[in-house]
Amino acid sequence: MLGIRRISTNRRWWHKKKNWLFFVIFLFLVYVRISKGAFYKDFYYFISKPFWPGQFQKEIVLNSIDQEYLIKLNLLKKDNLRLRRILSLKESSNDEHISAAVISRKTGSWWRQIILNKGSKDGVEIGNIVIGPGGLLGIVKNTSLFTSSVTLITSPESKLGVWVDRIQTNGLLVGLGDDYPSLILYSEDADIKVGDFVSSSPASTLLPPNIPIGIVQSIDETLKSKKTAKILLLAKPQVIDWVQILEVNI
Amino acid sequence: MGPNFGSKYLMNKFFIKKLSIISFIFIPIIFLWHPNWLGFLGVQPYWPLFWLLPWSMMNGSINGLIFGLFLGLILDSLTLNESFTQIPGLIFCGFLFGRIKIHSDFLVGHFRYGLICSFGSFLCGTLYFLQILFRNFSDSNFLMLIPSFKNILAEVFLTGFFAPFICSQLLRIFKFSRSKLQQ
Repeated sequence: MLGIRRISTNRRWWHKKKNWLFFVIFLFLVYVRISKGAFYKDFYYFISKPFWPGQFQKEIVLNSIDQEYLIKLNLLKKDNLRLRRILSLKESSNDEHISAAVISRKTGSWWRQIILNKGSKDGVEIGNIVIGPGGLLGIVKNTSLFTSSVTLITSPESKLGVWVDRIQTNGLLVGLGDDYPSLILYSEDADIKVGDFVSSSPASTLLPPNIPIGIVQSIDETLKSKKTAKILLLAKPQVIDWVQILEVNI
Repeated sequence: MGPNFGSKYLMNKFFIKKLSIISFIFIPIIFLWHPNWLGFLGVQPYWPLFWLLPWSMMNGSINGLIFGLFLGLILDSLTLNESFTQIPGLIFCGFLFGRIKIHSDFLVGHFRYGLICSFGSFLCGTLYFLQILFRNFSDSNFLMLIPSFKNILAEVFLTGFFAPFICSQLLRIFKFSRSKLQQ
């Protein structure tokens, strides 16, 4: 009447599903554009993975190297065992690991010991060694039916023969009642340096060989023809909750 | 009243009377438990003194000495340091704490517990350290000095800090238990 032409509601563009579909596709493409095709690239990454150049070859080579190392390691272990038997030194059998939880921990003051939840019932014996993540923790000193008590290497009672690999020297590791046991080298001109690695001595009669113990943290002054150094332990008895008990074969 | 009243009443009476002995059982447990969050520099307060002080003050020197010996025996059996013993320190402290009762029965205020326990812990720590020093006289005694002093001082501080709280409570419990005993 007033010259206004009524448009039928059916003719509006937003009433058509098809238009909405195009709109969604458009938005998706805008997203793809803004993200600079990240979605496409990631998708392509997965579908093209099997066809990457050299992928399989690399895996094959790495697998072969792993196998080679494993075989070498086993051969060396066997050889080492044979030689140690000839020399009648201590050996550790890897099959005899007993996992145990720490149920009491005295890591301060003079009493430095932990109590484990495995005892003589589980086959723990006096003299077994206890290792945790990092290396040696101590030696089982006492067992009851359900528990075993371990003297830590930081205890003033503990004295162990250790090996400094870099200078190929044996030393004595003495617990002092603090967190850093002392390494004593009975040689004035031993060239020990901060950062040297200390492990259990291959000639020890108490411990199996080559168990990591700690790193030289500081070197004290030379006194009376012997050198002493403070050792930072690799295994931290004040925080470790689970340990392994190793049987030592004589 | 139920049929079990008699036995329950007797049980309660028994527990109240034996409170001091029951609390004695907790010393080795807390000694083993070693709650790290109460420690300072990794060192714990010297727990047995907290019990020994009120016990000796209540029961005299001879009782203190005997229970010092008992405590020492139990704690030595829990620790692996076979060559060193806590017995001399605890016996001496037990005896000494018993003497305090005779001289100044009512003057002992809360904060004196702290001082007395600090002194006792210093005594026990020093006696223990002397044993370690004597044992290791031949090799590396000079290395032990600094960590050991640190241990003794931290222990003395912590024992003195906690003693007023724990000793006064234990003394109250012991007194309550004794008053029930006399009824």
